[in-house]
Amino acid sequence: MLEMRHIRKSFYGVKVLDDVSINLYPGETLALLGENGAGKSTLIKILNGDYSRDAGDVILDGVPVHFAEPRDAEGAGIRMIYQELHYAPELSVAENLLLGRLPHRQGLLGWMIDWNAAREQAREALKLLNVNIDPMTKMRDLSVVEREIIEIVKALSRKARIIVMDEPTAALTPPEVQQLFGIIRDLCKQGIGIIYISHRLDEVFQIAQRVTVLRDGKHVDTRPIAEMTHKALVHMMVGRDIEERAEVRKGTAAIQLGDRLLEVQGLAKTGAFEDISFHVRAGEIVALFGLLGAGHNILTQTIFGIEKADSGNVHIGGHPVQVASPQDAKRAGIGFVPLDRKVNGLVLGMSVQKNITLSNWSTLAPFGIFRPKKEMHNTRHWVDKLGIRMAGGIETHTRYLSGGNQQKVVLARWLEANVRVLLLNEPTWGVDVGARSDIYDQLEALAAQGLAILIVSSDIEEVLTVSHRILTIYKGHLTGEFMQSEATQENLLHAAAGGTL
Amino acid sequence: MKSARNRSLAEIASLVVILTLIIIFFSQASPIFLTQRNLDNMLLDITTVGILAVFTTLLMIGGGLDLSVGSTVALCGVVIGALQGTWGILPAAAFAVAIGALVGLANGFLVTYVGINPLITTLGMLSIARGLAFVFSDGLTIPVFDSEGTQFDAYNTFTQFGEGQVFGIATPVFIMFVLFILGLLILQFTSYGRAMYAIGGNAQASQLAGLSVRRYRMIAYMLSGLSAGIAAVLLTSRLYAADPRAAPAMELTVITAVVLGGISLAGGKGTLIGTALGVLILTTLLNGMKLLSTSTDAQNIAQGVVLLLAVGLDQLRTRDINWTAWLRGSRLMPDGTKAIAKGD
Amino acid sequence: MQNTATPAQSKGVIPKIGRWLRGERLTTLNLFVSFIIICIIFASQSEFFLTLENFANIGRTLGVVSIVSIGMTLVLITGGVDISVGSVAALSGVVASILWLNFGVPLFLATLLGLLACTVVGFLNGYMIAIVKINPLITTLASFSIVRGLAFVLSNGQTNQLNDEAFKFLGRGEIGGVPVSLILLIVLYIVFFVVMHFTHFGRNLYAIGGSADASRLAGIAVRRHLLIVYTLSAFLAGLGGIIIASQLASSAPRAATGLEFTVIAAVVLGGTSLSGGKGSLIGTLVGVFILRVLDNGLVQTRVSSFYQDVISGAVLLLAVGFDQIRLKLTSTFGGK
Repeated sequence: MLEMRHIRKSFYGVKVLDDVSINLYPGETLALLGENGAGKSTLIKILNGDYSRDAGDVILDGVPVHFAEPRDAEGAGIRMIYQELHYAPELSVAENLLLGRLPHRQGLLGWMIDWNAAREQAREALKLLNVNIDPMTKMRDLSVVEREIIEIVKALSRKARIIVMDEPTAALTPPEVQQLFGIIRDLCKQGIGIIYISHRLDEVFQIAQRVTVLRDGKHVDTRPIAEMTHKALVHMMVGRDIEERAEVRKGTAAIQLGDRLLEVQGLAKTGAFEDISFHVRAGEIVALFGLLGAGHNILTQTIFGIEKADSGNVHIGGHPVQVASPQDAKRAGIGFVPLDRKVNGLVLGMSVQKNITLSNWSTLAPFGIFRPKKEMHNTRHWVDKLGIRMAGGIETHTRYLSGGNQQKVVLARWLEANVRVLLLNEPTWGVDVGARSDIYDQLEALAAQGLAILIVSSDIEEVLTVSHRILTIYKGHLTGEFMQSEATQENLLHAAAGGTL
Repeated sequence: MKSARNRSLAEIASLVVILTLIIIFFSQASPIFLTQRNLDNMLLDITTVGILAVFTTLLMIGGGLDLSVGSTVALCGVVIGALQGTWGILPAAAFAVAIGALVGLANGFLVTYVGINPLITTLGMLSIARGLAFVFSDGLTIPVFDSEGTQFDAYNTFTQFGEGQVFGIATPVFIMFVLFILGLLILQFTSYGRAMYAIGGNAQASQLAGLSVRRYRMIAYMLSGLSAGIAAVLLTSRLYAADPRAAPAMELTVITAVVLGGISLAGGKGTLIGTALGVLILTTLLNGMKLLSTSTDAQNIAQGVVLLLAVGLDQLRTRDINWTAWLRGSRLMPDGTKAIAKGD
Repeated sequence: MQNTATPAQSKGVIPKIGRWLRGERLTTLNLFVSFIIICIIFASQSEFFLTLENFANIGRTLGVVSIVSIGMTLVLITGGVDISVGSVAALSGVVASILWLNFGVPLFLATLLGLLACTVVGFLNGYMIAIVKINPLITTLASFSIVRGLAFVLSNGQTNQLNDEAFKFLGRGEIGGVPVSLILLIVLYIVFFVVMHFTHFGRNLYAIGGSADASRLAGIAVRRHLLIVYTLSAFLAGLGGIIIASQLASSAPRAATGLEFTVIAAVVLGGTSLSGGKGSLIGTLVGVFILRVLDNGLVQTRVSSFYQDVISGAVLLLAVGFDQIRLKLTSTFGGK
C-alpha cells in the first residue's frame, strides 16, 4: 500500500539518506531499525511531508504522492506518533486531542466550536486506550506518562491508514506496553499499516512482521522477523558484532571496593520519594532501576541540588554535605550527567573544548583569565582517553557530534572537574548500540579508578549489563537490592513494579 | 559541515562591505563627509551609542535584554545636575555612575531572582528611570557649569571628561575605545566572557554544569546600567547640561546596532567586532543623511529599514532554501530556524 | 491502564466558564484586590475620586488603550510581541487627515484608507515574522521607527485639524449618555471574547503560543494565523489612532507616543504571559482599567505628572513580580 522508492536527502551538503526504499503492506507492522543518525527520523519526516526529498518517489496505493506539509499527509491518512511530545500546555486534553479539528456547531452557529461534542469525542478517543483522564484537564497538569499516552491516543483517534510510531513505549510501563501492542494488533487486523521505530529489540521481535534496517543513511536489508535473531539484527545495525557484555562480565574477577563515597540517609521529598537510604562505594557501579516516573530521576536531581529535599542528608566521602545548588554539588565532588544532553547537558553552539572545560574554571581560569595551553592540553587528554570522535578537532561545535560522542563530552566535563561521585541519568538514552558499549567500557574503567557511579535507568538490559549492584524503586520507595549475580529480568521487573520479595 | 568560524567571518565580511559602500556613497554625495572635522564629530557622536553597545553586547550574548539604557543615561545626567551644588560636581558624577549600576542591579535582580521577563522588566525600568529624571529636574534642563565660581578646579576636571584629550584623542572617544578593548578581552580570555556565551547558548546546561547563572546575569545587567552612568557623565560634561529628555529612544539605536552586528536575541552568539561594525554602519548612515540635510524622520525610517534588511537577509542567507517551494509560498526548510523565529 | 483519575466535572455553562477562568482566576483575583486598594487610597485623598462623574471620565479614557490591547493580547498569546502599535496609531490619523485636507477625499473614506494603511503595515509585520521568520521584537522595533518616521514625513511634522462633526462623534459623542468609544470597545471585547473562546481561530492561537510545533503537526496553518494576528493588531492600533484623532479633533505625527508601553503593561498586568499560550481578554480589560484608574487617581490627588511614569512602571513590575513569586511558591510547595 505504501512504497518509498530511492529516497535521497541531504542537509547542508551532508547525505542523510542515500537511495533508501521501503514498502509497507496493509495490516502489517514493519519495524524500522537503525542506530541514531541512520536516517530513520529523516525518512519518516519525508513521508510526513515535514521535509522535502531531494530525489525518489513516495507511492501510496500505486499513486505517486507529494506531501508539501504535514497537513497533506494527514489528509492521506498518515498519522505520526513522535518521540518528542508536541502539545499546548495551557489547553485542555480535549483540545490537544482534537487540535486543528475541533467539531463545529450545527446551522447558523456553524462557525463556532461545539464544546459538548468536543468533550464527548475526546472521551470516546480516550476510551480507545481505557484511559481515565478528564478531557477538560489542562495538559500542563498531567504527568509526563499521561502526556505520552495522550499523544498516542491523538494518533489513534483519527481515521488512519498508516501509523508511524517513533519510540512510542519510551515512557510506558510493561503492562501499558502490552496494552499498546494489543491495540497495534487490532489496528493491523483492520488493515492499517504500522511503521514501528524502536531501540528496544525485544519489542520488535514481539510486534513486527518484517524489519527494515538502515545504516548511515543507506538501506541495509529488509527481512521477515522470523528469519532474524537478536544477534543478527544488531550486526546489521552496527555493521559488526557486539560482544555479549553481560556474559563477559560475569567471568571477570571480583572488583575492588573502597569506602562509601556517596551515602544517602533518609532522603525524602513530598510527592516524589520517601525515606531513601543507600550508599555507593568507591569503585562500584550501582544502578537505580525503576519504571519512568518511579521517582529515581528526581532523586538524582535532588542529590545534585537541582531539587530540594524535605528531609534526610547526603554524605560524600564520609562527611555530611549541604547541597542546595549544582554549584554546591560540584564543590562537594558530585558530577551529574542529565537525561537530555541536548537540553540540559551541552551548550550546542560551543566547541567540544569549551564544553569539556565548562565546570573546571577554577583551575583553568585562575583570577578569571583562561590559560589556553593548559585548557587545550586537558581537553586533548579527555578526547583521547574517552575516544571522543568528531570531524574537525576540538573546536567543532558539539551540535555536530553524534549522540554517543555528545554523551562522552558531558562525561569528560565532570572528569575534568575531578569529581569523585558520578550520577548518570539514563546514560545511553538515544545512544546507538555501538557507542553504548563504548560508554559502558568507560564507566567500568572509571569505577576501577575509584569513582563511585550511580546510574539511573529504566532500561533493564542496561541495568543488567553494567552495574555491580542494583536497587529497584517503585513509587518513591526502594523495593529491592540485588547483586549483579542474583539479578534477573524477572525479579528486577517484579520489584520495580511494586512487588515485594 | 561548515564551521561556525567561517560563517561568522562571512558575516563580518558582509558588514565591512556594507560599511564601505555607505562610506563611498556619502563621500560622493557630500563633499564634507570625509573631512577630518566631520569624522571627528562623528566619532564623538558615536560615543554614547558605542559605550552602551559594548555592554549591551555582553548582556545579549548572555541572553539578556536591556531597554532601559536610554532612560538611565538621562536619569544619571539629571542626578549630576541636581547634586552638583550640594555635593560638588565630582562626587555627584561618581554617584551618578553608581546610580547607573544600581538601576542595572535592580533590573538584574528582577530578571534573575524574581523571574520577570527581561522585556517587561526593562520596559518598566525605562518608564521609571525616565519619570525619575523628570521628577528630579522638574522637567527642566539643568545647566552644569561652575555657576558660583567656587569649584573651578573640580569643574575643570569634570569638563575634561567631555572636552579633553588623551593621547591626542578626544576623551570620550578614548574611553569608548578602552571599554571596547576591555570588552574584547573579557569575551575572549576570561571566564566571565565564556560564561556569557555558555549561558546565552544554554542557560539550563550551564546551571547544571555548576555555573552560578544568576550571579553572572546580575553582573551583566549591572554592567549595562554602569555603562549608562559612564555615558551620562561624558554626555553631561560635553553638553554642559543635564536634560531629562536626553538619549531619547537610545535603546532602540543600541539594539539596532548590536543586532545589525550579528548578535542574536536568543543569545549565545556574536562578537564585539560585529557590534563595532554595526555601530559604525548605523551612525555613518545617520551622519551621512544629516549632511545631506535629510530630516531626522527619514533617518528614523532608514534605521528601521536597515535593521529589517540586515536581519531579514541574514535569515534568508543562513537557511537552506528550497526556492521553488518558497515561490509557491510553501514552507521553508525547518532546520534551526524555529528557535530563532520564536525568541522571547 | 493506571492513571490518576480526576473527578468528572459537572456539565453546564457556569462551571464551564469557571473552568476557562480557573487558570487565570488567581491572577484576576490579585488584580481585583490591588484595584480595590488603589481605589481606597485615592478615595481617601480626593473627594471627587469616587463620584459617578469621575468614573464616567475614566470610561471615556478607556477606549484607545483597551482597543489596542485586544490586538496585543492576541499577539502575546501566540508568543510574539508588537512594539509598533503606537507608531501605527499615529499613522492612521495622519493618513486620514492628509487625504482629507490635501486630496479632498471624503473624510469617511479617508478614515477607512487610514485604517487600510495600518492594516498593510500589520500585514508586512506579519510577513516578516511569519514568512521571513525574523524575531517579532526586532521586526516591530524596526517598524516602530519606520512607521513613526513615515507619519512625520507624510505630515511634514505638522498637526492637522480634523474639524468635522461626524468624525468627532466617534471619540467625543455619546449615545444615551454612554460614550461612543466605550460602546465600540464593549462590542469589540464581546466579539473577540467569542472569537477567542468559541472559534477555531481563537483556540488555534492558544495552541500556537503553547506549542507551534504541535499546531503545525496538527495541520494548523501557523504562518497564516500569525499573519492575521499581526494584521489585526495593527488594524486595531489604527482604530485606536482614529479615536485619538477624533477626541482631539486633530491628527499629530507624535500622537500615541509610548502607547506600546501602556498597552503591553495593561495586557501583562491582566495575566497574559509573554511566553505565549496563556492569557485572557477579561484580564486585559481589568489591566487597562487599573492603569486608567491609577492615572486618573494620580491626577485627582494632584501628584505631579512627572511621577506618573514612575508609578505606572513600578505598578507593572510589582504586579508581574508578585505573580512570579506566587508561581514560584506554588510550584515549590503545592505543585506536582
